Amino acid sequence: MIAALARTLDNLLGRGEAAVTVPALDGAMRPNRRLDEAGTKLPLENVDCIAVSAGLVHASAGDHIHRLSPAKQWEATYGCGAPITAMAAVEGGLAAALATGEIVIFGGAFDGRRYDPGLACITAMVAGGGRLYVASGSATNGADDWQRDLMERNASGSVRHIDLESGEGSTLADGLAWPAGLALAGDRLIASEAWRHRLLGLPVDGGPAEVLAADLPAYPGRISATAGGYWLAGFAPRSQLVEFVLREPAYRRRMLAEVPQPFWVAPTLRSGRSFYEPLQGGGVKHLGLLKPWAPTMSAGLCVRFDEGLRPQSSLHSRADGATHGITSVIEHDGHVFAASRGDGVVVALHAMGEAA
Amino acid sequence: MSLSDTMTRWRYRAVPDHLVGEILTKRWVDNAIPMLILLAVLAVFGSLIPDFFGSASVTNLARQWGEFGLIVIALMIVMVAGGIDLSVGSTFALGNIVALALISVAEWSVPAVVATTVMCGAAVGLVNGLLVGYLRLRAFLTTLVTLIIVRAIVDMLLLKYSVSIAAAFPDSDLWYFFGEGFLLGAPFSVVVIVTIAVIIHLVLSRSRAGWHILAVGGSRRSAHNVGIPVRRVICSTYVVSGILASLAGVLFASRLGGAGADTGIGLEIAALTAAVLGGNSLGGGRGSAAKAVIGSITVMIIVNSLVRLGVTSGANSLLLGIVLLAAVAIDVRWLKNRHKVLSKVYVSPTYADLPPAPPTSGASPYALNDRLRPVELIGLGRIDGPEDVILDDDDNIYVGDRTGDIVRFFAPDYKRQEVFAHTGGRPLGMAFAKDGSLLVCIGGMGLYRVTMDRRIERLTDETNRSWLSIIDDSRLRLADDLDIALDGRVFFSEATIRYEMHDWPVDCLESRGNGRIVCFDPNTGSTRTVLKNLVFPNGICMTHDGQSFLFAETWGCRISRYWFDGPKKGTVEPVISDLPGYPDNINRASDGTYWVALVGMRTPSVDLAMKMPGFRKRMARRIAPDEWLYPNINTGCVIRFDENGRIIETLWDFGGENHPMITSMREHKGHLYIGGIFNNRIGKLKLDGMDESWTGQTSYWGRT
Repeated sequence: MIAALARTLDNLLGRGEAAVTVPALDGAMRPNRRLDEAGTKLPLENVDCIAVSAGLVHASAGDHIHRLSPAKQWEATYGCGAPITAMAAVEGGLAAALATGEIVIFGGAFDGRRYDPGLACITAMVAGGGRLYVASGSATNGADDWQRDLMERNASGSVRHIDLESGEGSTLADGLAWPAGLALAGDRLIASEAWRHRLLGLPVDGGPAEVLAADLPAYPGRISATAGGYWLAGFAPRSQLVEFVLREPAYRRRMLAEVPQPFWVAPTLRSGRSFYEPLQGGGVKHLGLLKPWAPTMSAGLCVRFDEGLRPQSSLHSRADGATHGITSVIEHDGHVFAASRGDGVVVALHAMGEAA
Repeated sequence: MSLSDTMTRWRYRAVPDHLVGEILTKRWVDNAIPMLILLAVLAVFGSLIPDFFGSASVTNLARQWGEFGLIVIALMIVMVAGGIDLSVGSTFALGNIVALALISVAEWSVPAVVATTVMCGAAVGLVNGLLVGYLRLRAFLTTLVTLIIVRAIVDMLLLKYSVSIAAAFPDSDLWYFFGEGFLLGAPFSVVVIVTIAVIIHLVLSRSRAGWHILAVGGSRRSAHNVGIPVRRVICSTYVVSGILASLAGVLFASRLGGAGADTGIGLEIAALTAAVLGGNSLGGGRGSAAKAVIGSITVMIIVNSLVRLGVTSGANSLLLGIVLLAAVAIDVRWLKNRHKVLSKVYVSPTYADLPPAPPTSGASPYALNDRLRPVELIGLGRIDGPEDVILDDDDNIYVGDRTGDIVRFFAPDYKRQEVFAHTGGRPLGMAFAKDGSLLVCIGGMGLYRVTMDRRIERLTDETNRSWLSIIDDSRLRLADDLDIALDGRVFFSEATIRYEMHDWPVDCLESRGNGRIVCFDPNTGSTRTVLKNLVFPNGICMTHDGQSFLFAETWGCRISRYWFDGPKKGTVEPVISDLPGYPDNINRASDGTYWVALVGMRTPSVDLAMKMPGFRKRMARRIAPDEWLYPNINTGCVIRFDENGRIIETLWDFGGENHPMITSMREHKGHLYIGGIFNNRIGKLKLDGMDESWTGQTSYWGRT
């Protein structure tokens, strides 16, 4: 009763939960243009997830898994017959989660095995200790429908594990708000909970979750473990306007019903392609230029964390950049590979200095 | 339209939310709380005391109020100038005893008595004034000392004359008239105070002396810096205070005719309570006769009613003290929070349903294309924000820019430029008059003329004030675009009367009919508003019949036609009511049709927000303006249409490489010249199949 009253009052005065605040990009998150200035750009339409298997970088895009040849060319390697929603390296091979809910293994010890954990929205996977850990973003929306899931303010995601040998599995955590990334850290699983902008630590054998990093300035996506830390892909920036719209149920409801999805006031992997998209005050072009600090519905962000989940450094593509919607980032062979799904390109830059 | 939309629409039609904010911008709103307190006091005691509103009761109360009110006004004047006068009670007592002694013992004539008594009061005031004003002693301590000294003098006079005063019986009807007579049906003292209150009000609000007093009270140092004789002003307020207090003493003497030791004791506290309760600031700079009147009536009623209710005198003072404390607290909080409340409630969006936007693809006349791609750029990087573009007979280009200049680019190659005139405001719409001078709407200033020898003349900066408008809408805030009728009358749009130029996004957020079209007649020099309640009226263009013009309403996404002459005089007809974007300037095309610039395009998210005023209001409060949902003004286009509203062609720069937003375009000799208010270039586009000798001037004035 009192809580409801306090909420009503907050809503009236714009305090507490109704205060629309977004953390500033500062410290290790200080903006730069390093994603746009990356030395190597490898265009791949609709690229989504990157994984390293057999010493080679693989990327999923649409129905296919592509392999990066030594000549820095993408070669379509495996066809899956359905859109791939997540991919992970498994025992010398690759596991691909399909939009149908199936998980298929290509190559390695479990080549050809198929699993069906009964999840239609697999957003991330990681393998270790004979198990495959699977994050499901939502119980009601598909992986490509993440904007709707955010706008519906759902928290129906879950994390499961599957025994690779037997195919048996169980749920480690549920009621999560779009878990979108997984990484293994010993006996703990690090999961990003996108709609709550935080990283969680989940014991691999079940148990209560622990918040490792909170109030991130972007929606955290896939995580990859690297020497001495982790890389996190922030697939879309948080913005005051979106936070405000999330607190406006009437507007959200009508927007979902009346406005075509590409033109929603919602974070996206790539914005500014159509003049029907929402524009914010700071995004008005002045003297023919879009300001880099302009509020935007899409941006590129990769954050390097140390082992204690403290942010160390970051790679950015700002409002006027061309490497938006980073869905996956991985470090391999001295290079950081970041998949920009928004702009259909994988950028690679030297990892030097990132481990600091 | 759904039921809830209909209800929202009626809700916003029925309740004029914006008036709340406009009322709060008024200075007189400070009187609202004192007035409410007065009404509450009236209601409480009116119901507690039988026959409270009876004529005998009211007359008696009014007569006493006349005296008390004078003292409050006296104190108010000193407080407004930043001081305080605690000696008013003693001065009042002094006035009483002096007047009684003169009329009863010395038996002077009444005018001489009044004059001398007032002089005595003025003398006390002068002492205060010299000490506080010129010697700059603390007002509080100084007047406290005067209080004691004057009280001592009164006591000495009492000792000497009280017996003879009690024995004497002045033989003068005029003397008794002061205390007991009626003038125009009101007690004499009420007539006196009303007259004085009106005079003081006029002096404070309308005269140089009054402004000086307010300025000194508001900021002594600033007043000194602008050359106001601070010391003299302060001194004079104490003199006025002494005069008014002793005048009240005269009225009191006439009414009661008796001198007592308790006359005027504690009066300064009651007067101070009344002044503060009325809303006069203790810190100075804020106060008025009306506030003093409201406060004095309130305190008068409280004090008298408590006595009539039989409350003991100690409790009476206690209650008065509590009221004073509460009044001071309210005064401080109100002063501190008023502007915060104002900033929260001033922005008041309203329901704005636009017709469905036509598509911009397929067979639509608005279909996307790249026809603006081949523009030739003029002044790239050398001009900041050419809102409007115009060319003279020699093909030179004139544009207004953000720094307030009108810049001229020289034909034929436009490589050379110069500042043609510096206006100081924001030059927006331009038109050449018949005599060749350039008429300009200047945002923040009004309608101006720049002659070819660069003389800048003001044509008008105000129009008639609307009777029912709360904010003063006579000044022109945002003159936007103009056009000139054949007889020389200038019709120009004022986009909004509620906001200044740089606040245009807030007006969009409101989407109310805040704008108007104004006519300036150079033949009579008069300025009149011809059309009101338009939604950000922007471009204006004369039609070819000489009796009407087309005008665009930006946030309304429509173009209408208004007849100012002829059989349809005074009527407005829609021409295009469902534009896919936000129209800006309209200009003539060479073949008798018209060009209109769309500054931006409608987006579904904004169209939806327009139907949800509460959402927009909360957005304005909760998030920074840079984060607000804007109409998409990053993509614009140019449209050609005819008088029937038929769209003939659309010119796009899709991708916005050169002209992300377009606010104006001007056809001249087979080319189209394009400007944008946030752009840094002018575009020149070769038009196919348009008359290569046509210019605006020949079209308007038949010159070559």
